[in-house]
Amino acid sequence: MSGRARARARGMALSPSAAEVGRIQASPLPLSVALSDSEASSSSDHVGTSRISQKFEGDLSSGDAGCTFKERVGKIRREMMDLSVCTREKLAHVRDCKRGSSGIPVKLVTNLFNLDLPQDWQLYQYHVTYSPDIESRRLRIALLYSHTELSNKAKAFDGVILFLSQKLEEKVMELSSETRRGEAVKMTITLTRELPASSPVCMQVFSIIFKRILKKLSMYQIGRNFYKPSEPVEIPQHKLSLWPGFAISVSHFESRLLFGADVSYKILRNETVLEFMMDLCHKTGMSCFTQACEKQLIGLIVITRYNNKTYRIDDIDWSVKPTHTFQKWDGTEITYVDYYKQQYDITLSDLNQPVLVSLLKSKRNADAEVRMAHLIPELCFLTGLPGQATSDFQLMKAVAEETRLSPLGRQQRVARLADDIQRNKDARFELETWGLHFGCQMSLTGRVVPSENIIIQDHICQPVSAADWSKDMRTCKILSAQSLNKWLVICSNRAERVTESFLNCLRRVGRPIGFNVNHPKIIKVQENPAAFLHAIQKYVDPEVQLVMCILPSNQKSYYDSIKKYLSSDCPVPSQCVLAQTLNKQGMLMSIATKIALQMTCKLGGELWALEIPLKSLMVVGIDVCKDAFNQGMVVVGFVASINPRITRWFSRCMLQRTTADVADCLKVFMIGALNRWYKHNHGLPGRIIVYRDGVGDGQLRTLIEYEVPQLLSSVKEASSSTSPRLSVVVVRKKCMPRFLMETGRTLQNPPLGTIVDSGATRPEWYDFYLISRVACRGTLNPTYYNVIYDDNGLKPDHMQRLTFKLCHLYYNWPGLISVPAPCQYAHKLTFLVAQSTHKEPSLELANSLFYL
Amino acid sequence: MPNRRASRNSYYFFVQEKIPELRRRGLPVAHVTDAIPYCSADWAKPVSTPLRRPGMLVPKQNVSPLDMSGLSLKSDQALLGGIFYFLNIFSHGELPPHCEQRFLPCEIGCVKYSLQEGIMADFHSFINPGEIPRGFRFHCQAASDSSHKIPISNFESGHDQAMVLQNLYRFIHPNPGNWPPVYCKSDDRARVNWCLKHMEKSSEIRQDLELLTVEDLVVGIYQQKFLKEPSKTWVRSFLDVAMWDYSSNTRCKWHEENDIVLCALAVCKKIAYCISNSLATLFGIQLTEAHVPLQDYKASNSVTPKMVVLDAGRYQKLRVQSPGFSHFSSSNQEQRSNTPTGDSPSGVKISGQNSSVRGRGITRLLESISNSSSNIHKFSNCETSLSPYMSPEDGYKSFSSLS
Repeated sequence: MSGRARARARGMALSPSAAEVGRIQASPLPLSVALSDSEASSSSDHVGTSRISQKFEGDLSSGDAGCTFKERVGKIRREMMDLSVCTREKLAHVRDCKRGSSGIPVKLVTNLFNLDLPQDWQLYQYHVTYSPDIESRRLRIALLYSHTELSNKAKAFDGVILFLSQKLEEKVMELSSETRRGEAVKMTITLTRELPASSPVCMQVFSIIFKRILKKLSMYQIGRNFYKPSEPVEIPQHKLSLWPGFAISVSHFESRLLFGADVSYKILRNETVLEFMMDLCHKTGMSCFTQACEKQLIGLIVITRYNNKTYRIDDIDWSVKPTHTFQKWDGTEITYVDYYKQQYDITLSDLNQPVLVSLLKSKRNADAEVRMAHLIPELCFLTGLPGQATSDFQLMKAVAEETRLSPLGRQQRVARLADDIQRNKDARFELETWGLHFGCQMSLTGRVVPSENIIIQDHICQPVSAADWSKDMRTCKILSAQSLNKWLVICSNRAERVTESFLNCLRRVGRPIGFNVNHPKIIKVQENPAAFLHAIQKYVDPEVQLVMCILPSNQKSYYDSIKKYLSSDCPVPSQCVLAQTLNKQGMLMSIATKIALQMTCKLGGELWALEIPLKSLMVVGIDVCKDAFNQGMVVVGFVASINPRITRWFSRCMLQRTTADVADCLKVFMIGALNRWYKHNHGLPGRIIVYRDGVGDGQLRTLIEYEVPQLLSSVKEASSSTSPRLSVVVVRKKCMPRFLMETGRTLQNPPLGTIVDSGATRPEWYDFYLISRVACRGTLNPTYYNVIYDDNGLKPDHMQRLTFKLCHLYYNWPGLISVPAPCQYAHKLTFLVAQSTHKEPSLELANSLFYL
Repeated sequence: MPNRRASRNSYYFFVQEKIPELRRRGLPVAHVTDAIPYCSADWAKPVSTPLRRPGMLVPKQNVSPLDMSGLSLKSDQALLGGIFYFLNIFSHGELPPHCEQRFLPCEIGCVKYSLQEGIMADFHSFINPGEIPRGFRFHCQAASDSSHKIPISNFESGHDQAMVLQNLYRFIHPNPGNWPPVYCKSDDRARVNWCLKHMEKSSEIRQDLELLTVEDLVVGIYQQKFLKEPSKTWVRSFLDVAMWDYSSNTRCKWHEENDIVLCALAVCKKIAYCISNSLATLFGIQLTEAHVPLQDYKASNSVTPKMVVLDAGRYQKLRVQSPGFSHFSSSNQEQRSNTPTGDSPSGVKISGQNSSVRGRGITRLLESISNSSSNIHKFSNCETSLSPYMSPEDGYKSFSSLS
């Protein structure tokens, strides 16, 4: 609506899981590398090496092998780490039952499937050593697998750790083999652990099993998901093709093991890098071709179809041609042309093309030397949408039509995958040898809680739709608003006319809602950020309540410089509006209404409230995000309500230098918020509920051990007698399960206020799912709440209802939002700081929602 | 009537020091204001104590400036005259630790500064970063795009590293003798140090230039002056101010033309502005064009209250004629035409005329008194009540909202 500089984070795209290629040093020499698709093992094995083989040999034998194995032993994937954190057992009031009861029951279908295991199923973990030691993972695997004792058993082996579903006869077993070269190798297999099916390690093994199964269904892993290149969806008019695929997960929900699958798409362009270069060459001419090429191509992600791996183009080496040679891992020299012919049976047509250079991310440690891959442009396809495509309406529409599946469409796709898994002989065999049985799709019962009433100044309104009540309250008076007496409008000369009519409109819409807008001082400036900033510096004095800037373009520097100056150097609320927005004929009234509401909030006004039965409750939202420029900086936002009605907010934000997204400064924030509350209410709040957003996989334990104590100690310090009771809820917008409502024969998105607290939840947590959004197209994603600390002892019903109520209180949108309002405020604040100001906002603004 | 805000100059402290002695003499002095009449004679007297030696007042080029690293600041005057250099070198990103080349220097900025005279000269140059290590083009490009936006290749203005370094050293240290202290922000120190070493390697000049941090300098000055140590966080936030981001004559020509805020020269100049703005006021120095970009702000003082449009519709025509912005642009051009003087190495600009403010604080004090009283006189002619932009408090606030 207003001129938000929606800066996209820099192109730090997912780097490929590149493991296949040889390594070279960061040297200007055209060292070369080969690509190979290793079939035998699923991941990392090194096939190539470089010309400076001497150095590498030493490196490989000492560092490389040892390092890989050391890390693999006992390394659990991050999302699995959370599973070992049991918070529910400490919460007495939900130990027996964490389910609510209010609301109308609704039958829901999920995207989860039962995986049945025998009662006494166990996983056996073995440790394998070789004598003499062998560093090649491939060889280790091949030697072990050749043994008859193991050949017909279900197994997973990464070179050191062996998992079996059946126990071997002896605890320590010795096997001997002979390599092709005739060396005798002795292998010792020692049993280290027996794991029950609920162990996090088992989840990892199950994921490996399903990875194999999907491979057997001719799907390829790209990133974390699996795609099927054989059934592409073509969008020829935009030279795009989509690969359908799935994101999968296996994990333990309430009482059973469930397999989850969600539809995902990979967007590819039907254009090779070589074609792109040719095209560019025609357009720009030879003179500045290389520059143009580097400008356009560097940073893009390509996929090589011969092995379906993705790479980022980090550089282009114009000095290397396909006819040049490179050294393979065994030391032999080969040209690129011959290599591709031999390895993939691909004939390169253009022998004068340069090679693309991609840095490979080291899986082990960041300090390892750089490894690079050379890629042939002819064989690389561009992926993702080009920058300008996102603004191409037709293109985006065409893509959305394919990717935004209706609930029914999504269900059909997931059901087909389940069907394929059950029908495919190999897949079924794999499951059977492990003792797994792929069951039916799970359905469960959710509850729809009643809709809420909105309290406005003189009456209570029952909105027609809880998703958007802007129409219901168009002429209603808002709770409170300061009148705007002294304010500035800064616009460019060109925007003078629209500004005039907009200001008239603003006054007109302001009156009925109770927001008085006086004449501003209008300042006309030239169209450049410096002129805007100078005007602000010149005319802003302590009496100015608000500065409005009518920006001529959405160039980021306007927004950034204005916001930075007005939020920290000279704290005054500011409102930026794009001139372009005001030019939209026929929309001006609704635009003006929205801006008027935003401006009231920035001045400290309150728009609407909700009936909250808990008296003296403070709700807090915390969000954490990375600074856009400075990778080592983390922005922590903290927003707390400061009145019992939950309409006024105290907002603070801080930048901290860490690598983890964990907040350090919560104590300062919390004490500040409590002081503010004390000042306004002459007492402390009885209860505090903290909603924490921005939590990554595997951070749950850190949160409990580091952040919760900070909050607790500040709450305890606040009062000597009865300190406020604290609850901490982790909010996650991304979660695996999806819920669809059955209506007659078809499927629909579940209604607003649907709560799921059984079946798809975890036994060890006090958690629930809530749907607080509507989707006009596509399928809804529920929001996942996990109560990790709870002194308040609210009934699950009350906790769920309160959370739902809080989703109504975001003043930037007259309707429900997907997370509780304090979380969204905190997110908005951190986004402003991380993207634009990069500096802590002034404390003087902490009492208003200046960042809306 | 003296400006209330300016009361904390060196004269204030001089008087404060004298109060016990005056009381001993039996004079009824309760406050500094009471004591002023008894002290002015002493102040005017040439003093020959080691602290206020007349020779210290005018810093000479060949006298080695203070060693700030030891924080051995002798006195206000010595501090005022002390010359510091602020240096910054930009790089095209930072390469990972295993690379031999960690930075690719691309722009250098340096200013010569003293509290008394403000920015005395500046030095700026683009640097040819050399060959970008194979495979890191994206990394460097992305880092550049998100900050100073200097092109990573085919940028004609980039000078040879050896030459730039030679010019820099000639700028900082034209005469033999001790090296003056050179400062940069603590966050940039590692980078600047690395780049200097790297450039030395290519140019075969060996100079062990010691790089100190501005934060320590500010803390040191405060400690010296008020015997209190400000927190580093406060100092850091005080140095990171957005208000001069777009000031004229701050960025280098290229960055100004392309309207990019991050410029190595601007970073150095903004340090000087910040220090002038907060410290110089405390020392009672009148701010000149060399201290802060005054020309952008003078404009605001020249607008009379009648020209300020309070009602949008009625006064618009009037306001268009207000000279505010044209004034800004013309002064801008004046600054531009400032040509490099004499035999100074390329990239060096010496600011010439505005060094007239020199000598004892008393002259400046009197000047400032007369200035401010004339200002007040001016206000009283206009409707003072209607001029929120002109009260001394606000004029002060716009400069040092942080002090």
